[in-house]
Amino acid sequence: MPSDTVGNGALVPFSGDPPAVYPLHHGLAPPIRRLSISWSRGNSLRLSLFAAAATKVVEVKLTAEDPEISDAHWRRIAYGSVAPFALLQSRRSSLSALLKTPSPYHSDWWENVLQYSKEIGSLLGGSKLPPSPIIEDSNTIVKSGEEPTSMKAAWELIEIFYVDKQSQAWLPERLVDWLADYDSLFTSTYETIHGKLVDFQKELVNIQISHFLLEPHSIWHQVIEDDPRYWDLLSSALSVGWLEIVVKMLRLHGSYQLDQLSNREYHCAFQAQLNVKSKTIAVTVSKFHLENGLVEAVAVLISKMPRLCPESVGKFGEFYKSKPDFIKPWEKWRLQITKLDCSPIWIQCDNQQTREGLRNLLQIMLGNTDSLCMATCYWIELYISHFLYIRPFTMGIESMYNLAQKCIQLKPQSNTHRLARLMIGILEENTEVVLAECSREFGPWLVAHAIELLTAGSEQAEILLHEERYNLGGISIVELHRLVYAQILSSHTLTWQIAPIYLTSCMKQGMGLLENLLSRQSVQHNNVLLKNIEICRLYELDHISSNIMKIAGVYRWKHGHKGAGVFWLQQAEDASCLDRIAQQLFDSVGKSISDESFKQWEGMIELLGSESKHAGGLEFLHKYRDFKKSLQKVSGRKSTDTARQAVGSLILLMKNPSTPQRFWLPLLYDSLKLLNWKDCPLLSVSETNLLLNKLQDLSLAKLRPHYSEPNLPSDALSSIRLALATNLGRAILDE
Amino acid sequence: MAATAIHRFPQHKYVDAVRWLPQLSPFDRFAVLALFDFDSDASSIQIHSLTPNPFSFQPQFSSSLPSRISSLKTSHFLLKPLIVASTAAGSLHFIFADSSYSSLDSEVSVPEGALHSVPASSVDLMDGGVECVTVGEDGKVNMVGVGDSNLSYRRLFDSGGLVSYTAVRWASPMEFATGGYGFSLQWWDQRKPGGPVSQFKGNWDKKMSSGIVHSIDIHPSRKHTCLAGGSLGSVFAWDLRWQQQPIILSGAGNTMVQSISESEVWEVQYDRCIKSNASSSRILPSMICSEDGILAVIEQGEEPVELLAEPCAINSFDIDRHNPLDVICSLEWEAVAILTRQ
Repeated sequence: MPSDTVGNGALVPFSGDPPAVYPLHHGLAPPIRRLSISWSRGNSLRLSLFAAAATKVVEVKLTAEDPEISDAHWRRIAYGSVAPFALLQSRRSSLSALLKTPSPYHSDWWENVLQYSKEIGSLLGGSKLPPSPIIEDSNTIVKSGEEPTSMKAAWELIEIFYVDKQSQAWLPERLVDWLADYDSLFTSTYETIHGKLVDFQKELVNIQISHFLLEPHSIWHQVIEDDPRYWDLLSSALSVGWLEIVVKMLRLHGSYQLDQLSNREYHCAFQAQLNVKSKTIAVTVSKFHLENGLVEAVAVLISKMPRLCPESVGKFGEFYKSKPDFIKPWEKWRLQITKLDCSPIWIQCDNQQTREGLRNLLQIMLGNTDSLCMATCYWIELYISHFLYIRPFTMGIESMYNLAQKCIQLKPQSNTHRLARLMIGILEENTEVVLAECSREFGPWLVAHAIELLTAGSEQAEILLHEERYNLGGISIVELHRLVYAQILSSHTLTWQIAPIYLTSCMKQGMGLLENLLSRQSVQHNNVLLKNIEICRLYELDHISSNIMKIAGVYRWKHGHKGAGVFWLQQAEDASCLDRIAQQLFDSVGKSISDESFKQWEGMIELLGSESKHAGGLEFLHKYRDFKKSLQKVSGRKSTDTARQAVGSLILLMKNPSTPQRFWLPLLYDSLKLLNWKDCPLLSVSETNLLLNKLQDLSLAKLRPHYSEPNLPSDALSSIRLALATNLGRAILDE
Repeated sequence: MAATAIHRFPQHKYVDAVRWLPQLSPFDRFAVLALFDFDSDASSIQIHSLTPNPFSFQPQFSSSLPSRISSLKTSHFLLKPLIVASTAAGSLHFIFADSSYSSLDSEVSVPEGALHSVPASSVDLMDGGVECVTVGEDGKVNMVGVGDSNLSYRRLFDSGGLVSYTAVRWASPMEFATGGYGFSLQWWDQRKPGGPVSQFKGNWDKKMSSGIVHSIDIHPSRKHTCLAGGSLGSVFAWDLRWQQQPIILSGAGNTMVQSISESEVWEVQYDRCIKSNASSSRILPSMICSEDGILAVIEQGEEPVELLAEPCAINSFDIDRHNPLDVICSLEWEAVAILTRQ
């Protein structure tokens, strides 16, 4: 687009982030003469481009799709969270009705919230990897499965801290599990252990292949312990408690390859140009066994680490559910490590890399701060390692926050990952910061749903989030975030119909916005219209639904679907509108309700029903049809009885105030045959007088403006008068 | 009824309608979906193949249509599977798949405006696919003949918008039934042009308001009975021999029958799976799906049996002709569910 040349090309000076650029694919030949921009649905802009020869309308979606979660996936999450949310709300309201307190906070409430949290969490995808196959392929160290999402990581983090009271006792271990699941997410911002492991694994395959090509009989194992990264990674994985990975990697150590046992030693010997004597071999072999014994001893110690959490399949360690049970084994284990560390046996281990690597692992398990700091990449990893090896009994969030501060100082980073910011907010015990982080980084869906978790365990948070605030226009923080989420749902054709669930949970402004939302929906298509009316029925919004039906009725009427129009106006009980359209209908009736087109009208008149309550002025049509039918019968036969019935219909029509005046004369003219009935006068004196009065009224009406002359022969009026007068005479004589 | 296996398959697009396709070999089973992508305004029909072990439902091929599909029917014509779809823009498309359902054989269509003005129209295809009847809210009734490579169409009736039609179903090669506003039903005979031969507008309970018929079914063995489903959870039968009194099977504010739903019944079909006493004068059992997410079997004088209760609307369903225990239905939340009854 040609830019304005004032200043740097911007009409309004920008500050802060650079503006996002959206390329347009309009396919028009330049020059574009005019451009008009308006808002479309949701976050889309509608651009109308006018070129010399053609015009085109394009829509530009302003928010880029979340790279982690596609729009379609987002909708699935939105659909799936409706039922758990609604269930929790109904439980909350029934509970607070039961306890007669506004806040449903009581001891068991968190169990409901936990169930809700698990259901919502499962929507965020990636059920964790099946725990059993600790992959048989010896080269696979890091399991790769469905990519975890930050959204799920954030959700679980909040769940761990706020909801799950049951596992509060083993909070540190839950954080270890959390990091094991989501460490890969931090790779975008920091160097991570997960990232390093993945890189190393890629190389493992390469090493293996190249070695295999060079020396088909030797394999790469012989050198793995000579690679400093191997020990580096072992200590890193151990520091964050990925014991399965550590044990697996240790078993890759060359000393386990007994068939190749002294390959390495031969190699060294050859290089040193030594004479290979059988005695030396024996010594080498025994040393080799010693080395293997040390590796195995460390592996066994690692796999027997006592852990303060319930047992879970595929996880290494010995599990204790309570602190008193845990302390003794823990101390015993530490003692074993110290013993091994102090043992003189290390001197006999010739392989320096192995010796130092293994002893470093022992230092990590002994909680050596320097070793932990070296082994971990960023503060959360260091933090987790502290829980595992230095302060396994940590309880209480206050000390956790201080520890986090310390770790951040030890591992300063220039930029912070959004999950790290969320974690700091949680540890600070600052609900508002947590909400702000959720809102800024993870969007309205997460905030609207996670708020339930934040209030689960704390009355204080409950009060903070539910109190009405002047600066928010009298609504609470909870309501604000629900309203924001509902707005987003409302902006999409597929999700607007779940917005009512959220709006109705908002005490102050929810109903108003719901009415607004329902009134805004298109009435054009029956399925949307019926859904709309159904929602009105559910929430007892009769005035809205009757409005919608009126609009639908008028829309259909205007588009020529007269029957459907009348149906909806009848449903809306809009008598005045029906009256008005009745006048329009009568114009066509007068001309077209002749015998041949009767079939078309038949259905419409059936629709009006025998009940005239909601038919408005259209009630006349029904009676007119009855009259026409009886008149048709009369013309066929000469029976006086049928003629009497026809007269009955005529009198009913003429008496009825809803019969339009302009139909009086045509009706009477149609009935001339009845008035001049040969056998006997069909109308009584009073009936005749009624009709004469009507004629009188008509002659007065003629003097008024707007009177339209019916399309009848010129002698119509006089022949009616004559017939009425004759009938009157005969009737008087009869009576 | 014993346990029913339910499999759900997300589609990431709105599913307007779903139908089983005629089964041409005993091992392969296929269904056709009418999909609409609101983000790109793209409408398509997609053929999916169903394999039982492991249970999977995979797209085979898809074909795009100019506008959103308002009605979808399947049949076969000269041993070829035939799909007919009417769109919200008023066009009508006949799609012939090849017998392995791996590609599209040919497509013929009647352009927009020739049959109906907008909006939605409903269509039914005669068994064997010789003739197709279309009705619309614009009050037009059309016959479309399917030839080998061409289509011929003629207008049977035009109410000029005074009456709208929302559902249609063949009863015999000459007769069909339509439904519309005010729970009205019409019976037509091609041999007697100029309007419906019979009309039904029952004497409904005065207190309750009226509704729209969304779907009609007629059983081949009982052509005098017209089964209809519509607003207010109503399912009723109209026996041509007892013209003015509907037999209410569910809903419509009637306290005499058990109602399984109170909202729109979008589709109704006779349930071919339940064997009922053929000589019985009762209405044969039927299946319905509704706006409030119910898929259920209704039998006169019996308690309704709920097969599925979803938190969202069920827009359409179809019972497999060859395996009537299998039901496929489209869920409003962009998914398809397949039920296998035991």
